[in-house]
Amino acid sequence: MKRETDYGYEIKSVYTPEDIAGVDYGRDLGDPGVYPFTRGYYPEGYRSRMWTRRMTAGLGSSEDTNKVLKRYYRMGQRGGLCVISDRVFSDCIDPDHPLGRKEAGVLGWPGCSFLEFEEMMDDIPLTGHSITLLGSCAPTTLRLAYVVALAEKRGDEIGLIHGSVMESPFENYFGQTDVQPFDLNLKLFLDAAEYVLRNNIRMRACIISQHFQESGGNNAQAIAVELSMLKEIIGLLVNERGLEFDTAAKLPYELFSIGSRFFEEVAKMRALRRMWARLAKEEFGAKDDKSCHLLLSVHTSGRTMTYQQPLNNIVRCAIQTLAGVIGGCSALDNATLDNAHAEPSALAARMSLNTQHIVACETGAADVVDPLAGSYFVETLTNRIEEEAYKIYGKIQEFGGMIKALEAGYIQKMLTDEAIKKFQEIENGERLVVGVNHLVLPPGEDFEIPIQEVRGEDSEKIAHRMQEWKKTRNLPHLTEKIVQLYRDARKGDRFNLMPSIIDAVKSYATAGEVMGTIRMARGLSYDPFHIIECPFALDGEASAHAAA
Amino acid sequence: MQVSERIKVIISMIGLDGHTMGAEVVARLLRDAGIEVVYLGVNQTPEMIVQAAMHEDVEAIGISSHASNYNQVVELVELLEKNDLKHVKVFCGGNIPKHKVVELKDKGIAEVFPPGSSGKKIVETFLNGTRGGKWSN
Repeated sequence: MKRETDYGYEIKSVYTPEDIAGVDYGRDLGDPGVYPFTRGYYPEGYRSRMWTRRMTAGLGSSEDTNKVLKRYYRMGQRGGLCVISDRVFSDCIDPDHPLGRKEAGVLGWPGCSFLEFEEMMDDIPLTGHSITLLGSCAPTTLRLAYVVALAEKRGDEIGLIHGSVMESPFENYFGQTDVQPFDLNLKLFLDAAEYVLRNNIRMRACIISQHFQESGGNNAQAIAVELSMLKEIIGLLVNERGLEFDTAAKLPYELFSIGSRFFEEVAKMRALRRMWARLAKEEFGAKDDKSCHLLLSVHTSGRTMTYQQPLNNIVRCAIQTLAGVIGGCSALDNATLDNAHAEPSALAARMSLNTQHIVACETGAADVVDPLAGSYFVETLTNRIEEEAYKIYGKIQEFGGMIKALEAGYIQKMLTDEAIKKFQEIENGERLVVGVNHLVLPPGEDFEIPIQEVRGEDSEKIAHRMQEWKKTRNLPHLTEKIVQLYRDARKGDRFNLMPSIIDAVKSYATAGEVMGTIRMARGLSYDPFHIIECPFALDGEASAHAAA
Repeated sequence: MQVSERIKVIISMIGLDGHTMGAEVVARLLRDAGIEVVYLGVNQTPEMIVQAAMHEDVEAIGISSHASNYNQVVELVELLEKNDLKHVKVFCGGNIPKHKVVELKDKGIAEVFPPGSSGKKIVETFLNGTRGGKWSN
């Protein structure tokens, strides 16, 4: 069995003061709340702010998702809600699109119109907890528009709403795919980011390593990729959108995938805090200490949830949760024991939330900040991962940054090679996974768990509803807003589309309509799948524009 | 193992599922075993996969499913049959609940590989499942 970190550092049997002889407390660690923030951002840690304990929701109709959110609250979800979109909304087509019909409400919330958001948020406040809406990059603009529109409709002060609804275009390379071209995704992401930053809306954007790591990347690569993404996006907001670094630094949050190699996971979180702080200060010239804070959320690792002996996953989840908490996270949501089988069942969701509550209330882990600081082993691991991540980060910068490294295929190859290496390590028995390649049970004797059903007819119901509802909208008003959006989308990448997207959303333009209109303005097909035609007469607009 | 005549298969995602890593890993395992792999990537409809199967003259299709959209795998099998391609075996892998595995097999999917399946077994099944398995040793 291998005794090395997932990025290949060979672990010794014992660590002594000699291993950390080079560590300077003030320079490398600092007290909690003090630069370089290795030990965390808050002097009092969880005593001053408990982490947000949440579960990701999203399945079936918007009404179903609303019920699940309320159920999670009753299960003790605190601090924020988190909803993931279905593949249809992620791709910005509509449930009544021929491909949407088959997958609406499957694998997430079918949020293709403002109506769906209103239904999902029925009787749930927008303020007082964080609103996190996940999905892919392009619908970032729509998710933000929904929040702005609902706040306006309810009379909520927009400045009181916080959370995250934006997702970086890089996730598209790491499994969180959508069908929009990278340049469009990047433009829409920057529009949304600029909009929230200029309007003091406390919405963060996920610029995260989680998808990269869940696709198979190792811990050092994940940190290198995370820093590279941050540098690229923040650089664009500063250099292209003209924002101050200290403003742009309010945007990102990181979502770490936390696995079972406990000490390495804790070290990884500590290392990233230090590395971001240095990047912020030394490269971007941060003036405000807060700009050196990178909000760290944790998702315990779905890829470690095994199909075999699924109850073992409760144990894995507990170890990972404890690692995330000791590493110092702001929010945590768990994978579930049934992740390898289906969408989370009510029982699995409850077990995951309870895992957090047990760690919060029963272990004492939340009483003291950065409890592993000073451990010869953990400090060594923190230094080692930092060193290894800087090497990879350096290579990415040699390409000219994250976008260039992706264009060159460097990141993708690194990820696939690593995923295959991990697969083979299990195949060869170099890494043991209980129930998978160690202490395996015959299939007939394996534990049974409840399974959350996904029903095909639910998708059709969602599709049919949208098809009929679309006809009931104020079509002249909607068309006017769509035409405005089309005109604005022809004004170049630097023209911010958020105001016209918000207007269109308020007029109940759907995801497919909004994105299709923007696509046409950019000379793309209305439908990314080339199946349906644009229902609006925008061709006249195009020729009128050409004639002018 | 000696492969005297190349076996050609498709590995594809189906529907809107974007979780590609399983498909990419399996594609590489099969290639390393000497099988010719046509990797179709994301956003493939059953119709598109059948077209590709005809065009590429493949013997088997492997679908990676990580999005609970396995009903489209059933559609794929039905569509192959309609197009006189019943001999093309369909394999499927991903996070698929046990009762769905039974259903999928009943509906003509040759084998379903849940998470944690061994690469060796996947390769062997592809080899045995094509042309009567005459290259299986």
